[in-house]
Amino acid sequence: MAEESFLTDDFLRQLINVGEVDILVGLPTHNNAKTVGSVVHAIQSGILSGFPRERAVIINADGGSRDGTPDLVTGVSIDDMRPASKLYALRTLHSITTKYGSSPASGVAFRTILAAAELLRAKACVVLSPESANIEPAWLSKLLQPVYRDGFDLVTPMYRRHKFEGLLITNLLYPMTRALYGKRIYEAYAPEFGFSGRLGTQFLGQDVWTDGTDGAGVELRFTLAAITGKFPICQSFLGEKVHVERSSADLVPALRQTVGTLFAALDRDFPVWGAVTGCEPVPSNGTDQEVLLEPLRVNRKRLREMFSSGVAELESVFQSILSPSTLAELQRISRLGEDECRYSAELWVRTIYEFAASYQKSVISRDHIIQALAPLFRGRAFTFLTEHRNASADEVERSIEDLCLEFERLKPYLLEIWKPRE
Amino acid sequence: MPLNPDVLWYKDAIIYQVHVRTFHDSNGDGIGDFQGLEAKLDYLQELGINTIWLMPFFPSPLRDDGYDIADYQNVHPSYGTLEDFRKFLESAHDRGIRIIIELVANHTSDQHPWFQESRSSQDNPRRDWYVWSDTDTRYKDTRIIFLDTEKSNWAWDPVSKSFYWHRFFSHQPDLNYDNPAVREQMWEVMKFWLDMGVDGFRLDAVPYLVEREGTNCENLPETHLVLKELRRKLDENSPGRMLLAEANQWPADLRPYFGDGDEFHMAFHFPLMPRMFMGLKLEDRKPITEILQQTPEIPPICQWSLFLRNHDELTLEMVTDVERDYMYDSYAVSKMMRLNLGIRRRLAPLLDNDRRRIELMNGMLMSLPGTPIIYYGDEIGMGDNINLGDRNGVRTPMQWNGETNAGFSTAPPEHLYAPLIQDPVYGYQAVNVLRQKASEHSLFNWMQRILAVRRSTGAFGRGAIEFLYPANHRILAYVRRLGNETILVVNNLSSSAQAVELNLRGYKGNIPIEMFGRNMFPRVGDLPYLLTMGPYQFYWFRLRRL
Repeated sequence: MAEESFLTDDFLRQLINVGEVDILVGLPTHNNAKTVGSVVHAIQSGILSGFPRERAVIINADGGSRDGTPDLVTGVSIDDMRPASKLYALRTLHSITTKYGSSPASGVAFRTILAAAELLRAKACVVLSPESANIEPAWLSKLLQPVYRDGFDLVTPMYRRHKFEGLLITNLLYPMTRALYGKRIYEAYAPEFGFSGRLGTQFLGQDVWTDGTDGAGVELRFTLAAITGKFPICQSFLGEKVHVERSSADLVPALRQTVGTLFAALDRDFPVWGAVTGCEPVPSNGTDQEVLLEPLRVNRKRLREMFSSGVAELESVFQSILSPSTLAELQRISRLGEDECRYSAELWVRTIYEFAASYQKSVISRDHIIQALAPLFRGRAFTFLTEHRNASADEVERSIEDLCLEFERLKPYLLEIWKPRE
Repeated sequence: MPLNPDVLWYKDAIIYQVHVRTFHDSNGDGIGDFQGLEAKLDYLQELGINTIWLMPFFPSPLRDDGYDIADYQNVHPSYGTLEDFRKFLESAHDRGIRIIIELVANHTSDQHPWFQESRSSQDNPRRDWYVWSDTDTRYKDTRIIFLDTEKSNWAWDPVSKSFYWHRFFSHQPDLNYDNPAVREQMWEVMKFWLDMGVDGFRLDAVPYLVEREGTNCENLPETHLVLKELRRKLDENSPGRMLLAEANQWPADLRPYFGDGDEFHMAFHFPLMPRMFMGLKLEDRKPITEILQQTPEIPPICQWSLFLRNHDELTLEMVTDVERDYMYDSYAVSKMMRLNLGIRRRLAPLLDNDRRRIELMNGMLMSLPGTPIIYYGDEIGMGDNINLGDRNGVRTPMQWNGETNAGFSTAPPEHLYAPLIQDPVYGYQAVNVLRQKASEHSLFNWMQRILAVRRSTGAFGRGAIEFLYPANHRILAYVRRLGNETILVVNNLSSSAQAVELNLRGYKGNIPIEMFGRNMFPRVGDLPYLLTMGPYQFYWFRLRRL
């Protein structure tokens, strides 16, 4: 019996009408009417200025928006039906939209975009976030040029971030990915990135789409696939990362998408990262990651309280995951007052590595393991915020670098507690 | 065959542009002449054209291929005599072929007696027949047209010790149309040829007739007044004749040249032409549909004139810088091919001698709204020689056969006015009329067929146009309608096979009949009409309701 396609007939028909393209811009959306208009306008400007002769298409994969987002996307296409556009284009710039579901699922959206890229034989592709209200036309060139003209297969972004923003990235994803996979990629899980059609096709064929997660965190898997597949990777500096307010309730889903994805990947990729020693820089375009220092309101006290209570309440869970010495140290610092409580880099790294190993062994439900990490992350976040309250940009960057080195230094420990598959 | 008596005959015309010098030499001096051209009228009739546009043949020092005129009421001796011309004209009319001649109204040769008199002294009665100045700073907002050779629109005359105005080469001084005597004289010139029987004039360089300080000296209201006056006299003196404007301008600036039907009958649609080439290369209809969307309505008795190539460079004046760069990179990689913001190549070399693309471009030429013009030699796919300087590379002798001098002349080859094309691909041994007439599937025979199909309906020349905008942007589709006749035209601009779904709901129940093979296609129903098309393929369907 034939397998049902995840591409609708209408979408296929639209793709047929577009035909082969050189540049494909993927735009996954869900109720982004407030920002998507300016994003699409920036895309148009970016294509017209950076790739005026290339055949280009915007593929909007929408997860059931109810605010008219898809109409806003297609409403700004440049074709011969809209000669009033102020932007001058040699060619038709297509903009097509497909609804992949009635609720958002980033993995499904990305898979749709990859499928379109393969069918249209796109040479260079970019995925952009519909929430990036500060996107500039130049982002298109920065993410596409290295692929289209310089032969790279993956281009990850670098941003100018506030020193307290993206702590999950600076304190976990970046240093761990760097230490284990051997590549200094700042944003392995980014909302915007460029890639080659070649890489997209290769990833589309991998067995990552049917694990019941709807592909959550698939963008991180994509980066890891590029690393393990030895595809040429570079990074491009884009500019300021717009801060998006998240509630504390978003932490567990975020951990699932990032840390859960990373831990699952470690299991599969052990033959690669298990053999990697040291790490090497990745070519960069533009300046390196920059740190912003403006004041940012964070509730450190609340973070410490959630850390302390979490350590106490989840003791039995932690006993399954952590080594006795690590747990004991955690319990000790969780009882300290705000001025003394410090979650050191070494302890943090041991914690993460023990969690990774436990996840791999599935000592308890993997999802419970991820959930249990939440209070510990808050504790680490508290320490980072406290220690860098008055830190300069250089001091913050040095601190993150020290953390990276700690992850590298303790990699043998992870290898020691890891249980490779038979 | 009698001439079509309809006063709107130019809407049904299929025009063949030719220079008498290039076509056929009857007296063995190496230069084509009117007797030679007359001898080839049967060929042109067989091809299927019904109008000839003759490039300048008046006496001239030939420093600009005859566009530098020294006598407006005679024939250059190299081409024959006035009597030869009269005989040619009569023979053409006997075959139902009309004749349009060139009238270079804007300027003369500096060898013209008028200029020689004008420059001789400040008091000469013809002094004000040209535009003189003590300085070269007047009209400073005026662009230079021949950028590759001219640095200024003013030239110093050592005889007159003053500057004279010239929009083209410096040896082509502009006439002063503020002078009533000039206007009257130009009418007398027209009348001379009209009384002889010519059917119309192509007026060269009309935007530049009048100058005014503080303007760009193009398309001025005063210029239009001059032209309206000439048109009024034409209609009074010789109704049914036609004026064709050469005005290389944007569509909005072209529109005034039609007036309210009281100025020109026809004008070249210059901006469309490069965009046809652009659309083909981009494989995207956007450049074509956009320029036609910007093209204003013209009076019902007026007509656009369409062309693919002509004697000049493929002009890129009326495109944006981005488009011009794209055209250069696509069609004129060698800088030698570029001249004066244009590309000096013939049709076949521009299209890499790709038969399918040549057919597609001709298909669009014949089906888009307007009167088509075929440049001599393009019907057999002649090549060019960019080494001949200026635009002479596209003005080489017509290739009649593979024998000596391509059958153009019996003169020694070194006496020909220009060398023949001799390369292995386009050389006269390979590309010539004789060989193509003998081959059923030659380009000549194909051109013959398409002209016949074009002539089978008035819809192409006189009908309205409605663009369809299928989602597949590689397809240019439109409907031409005239009365009860409806023609569906579908062009695949892509080098690869394409599928297209056309919204033909308004034509439900019609049976498309393909016009070349006259075969039926499935009837139009409720669903989008699906067509699959090969690379560069086009269809003309007559929609028939039965």
